[in-house]
Amino acid sequence: MSGTTRAARRALDRLAGVHPERGEIPAFIFTDPDLFRLEMDAIFTRCWLFVGHETEVPAPGDYVTRRMGEHPVIMVRGEDGRVRVLLNVCRHRGMRICRADLGNASHFRCPYHGFTYKNTGELIGIPFQKEIYGDAVDRGRFGLLEARSEAYQGLVFATWDERAEPLRDYLGAMAWYLDLLAGRAEMEVVGPPWRHELATNWKLPAENFASDAYHTLHTHASTAEIGLTPTPRWAKDGYHVYAGRGHGVMVGTPAARCIFPEELLPEYARRLRPEQFALLRTLANMPGTVFPNLSFLISAVTLKGRLVSHTELYQWQPLAPDRIEVLSWLLVERSAPPAWKELSRQAYVLTFGPSGVFSQDDTENWTQITRNSRGPVAGRLGFIYEMGKDAQPTGAFAGPGEAYEGKYSEANARGFYRRWLDLLQEAVEA
Amino acid sequence: MTAAREPAQARAALREEVLEFLYEEAALVDAGRLEEWLGLLTDDVQYRMPLRLTRERGSPTDVTREMQYFWDDRATLELRVRRLRTDFAWAEDPPSRTRHFISNVRVAPGATPDEVYVRSYVLIYRNRGDGPQAELLSGERHDILRREAGGWKLARREFIVDQATLGTQNLSFLV
Repeated sequence: MSGTTRAARRALDRLAGVHPERGEIPAFIFTDPDLFRLEMDAIFTRCWLFVGHETEVPAPGDYVTRRMGEHPVIMVRGEDGRVRVLLNVCRHRGMRICRADLGNASHFRCPYHGFTYKNTGELIGIPFQKEIYGDAVDRGRFGLLEARSEAYQGLVFATWDERAEPLRDYLGAMAWYLDLLAGRAEMEVVGPPWRHELATNWKLPAENFASDAYHTLHTHASTAEIGLTPTPRWAKDGYHVYAGRGHGVMVGTPAARCIFPEELLPEYARRLRPEQFALLRTLANMPGTVFPNLSFLISAVTLKGRLVSHTELYQWQPLAPDRIEVLSWLLVERSAPPAWKELSRQAYVLTFGPSGVFSQDDTENWTQITRNSRGPVAGRLGFIYEMGKDAQPTGAFAGPGEAYEGKYSEANARGFYRRWLDLLQEAVEA
Repeated sequence: MTAAREPAQARAALREEVLEFLYEEAALVDAGRLEEWLGLLTDDVQYRMPLRLTRERGSPTDVTREMQYFWDDRATLELRVRRLRTDFAWAEDPPSRTRHFISNVRVAPGATPDEVYVRSYVLIYRNRGDGPQAELLSGERHDILRREAGGWKLARREFIVDQATLGTQNLSFLV
């Protein structure tokens, strides 16, 4: 980072106390304002960030507005059919040009002075341009700033870093698991994402989905008591997989029965590799996090006597050191029977929406940990991230990455914070 | 004369019954008497809270029912209440303090003679733990009440929330 700020240097000095491989993560990283500033630069302008699903913008002109870190963006399908991610900031004076959550538009007109942009980002209109600017403004130079964007299995990611590696390389081993999540069938989003704000640091939920199967035993014990899950230890069996580059996934297996609609097995078999299909048939659940802030989940519950799965994405958008906006999208197989889709949606809302009987209790943990991490004494506390430190990867699992037997481990959290630390240090030292 | 007055009196009496129902319901919810609250629901109750969106003026609607914050029926509401009675419902143990303020009540005929369609404004105040901060949820209820043997029952509730991004950390309380 050219011209390293004093705050960034101060933040880096404090990071000397963070040792992911030893399992030492101090509490202050969840509230420190200097670190937050550094994260915004070093992570949220460099990494590939999730923006939306292609089925949210099926037709030319369809758009949704989102955030990439601190930056408001528009994901829009242009007249030419291409999906672009454009900074939602007028080049003239910085006004937000699109102020709706979603819609369809051939062009965007800035409310302030009427600068007009095509849905491809091109600046096409400046009121009285000739008369007032003469030849001073070259419209070709002032299109909406476009982020680099690429999609994998319908998931659209974007980055502000022109030199970033291709998305497929960034995802690495995680791509294999995203195939199961979003590529096993033709998937579509169900409605717009729900959103709510939460008084927590973005890393806590990201780490939870990447690495923490252990919490289900106690935090979510209520779901076993009411029969949604078989026993409090239902999320223990399977594999804890560090997918590299900060990405972590936990593969719950075996399932007693197939949690997906049986009618779609031929479609799954056609779209997946044989070893992926074999795993899908015995998959019980699969939470994970694509570094930095996209989490996902395949989960199943017994509702009204039927075992039904739901597949969703979560994004933890940082707003402040102790505040995030949560967005979540339900994905469903386009060809699933309507009754199955309906039950899957109901299961998702009941368990993992803001009213969900799982997520309610997660929010309680994340908000109070954030609050507890503020003080100078508590802030220095090193939390315990040592679970599974001496475990060796197993060769018995078909998927890529470092797979450990059993889902309870903290290996993925150690990997997540190693990647996080590396990016912060590189940015300050560059 | 009498004929004109009677419907007006009947309307006033009906309105009084509806108000009493809504106030009693709010009192049970805010007191945490949720098993008794379940007794106010019909067996085929639908309990929904659609997403609210920011749309351009002139858009057909800013409410979407494709995805919702609550998608409940009697079976799932009973599950929610049973869960709160376990020893592991951390989001409500210790319990939140809530207050449901109901106003602007409008009563209209329902689809059948036994039903009424009731719209009302609701402001929900929630406070939790040792902080003084309030979480507020404002919205409009679209309810269907049905007259059954034991009196009025809630057959459908749709809560149209006034936020596109919820400001509450969760929805571990009823709307």
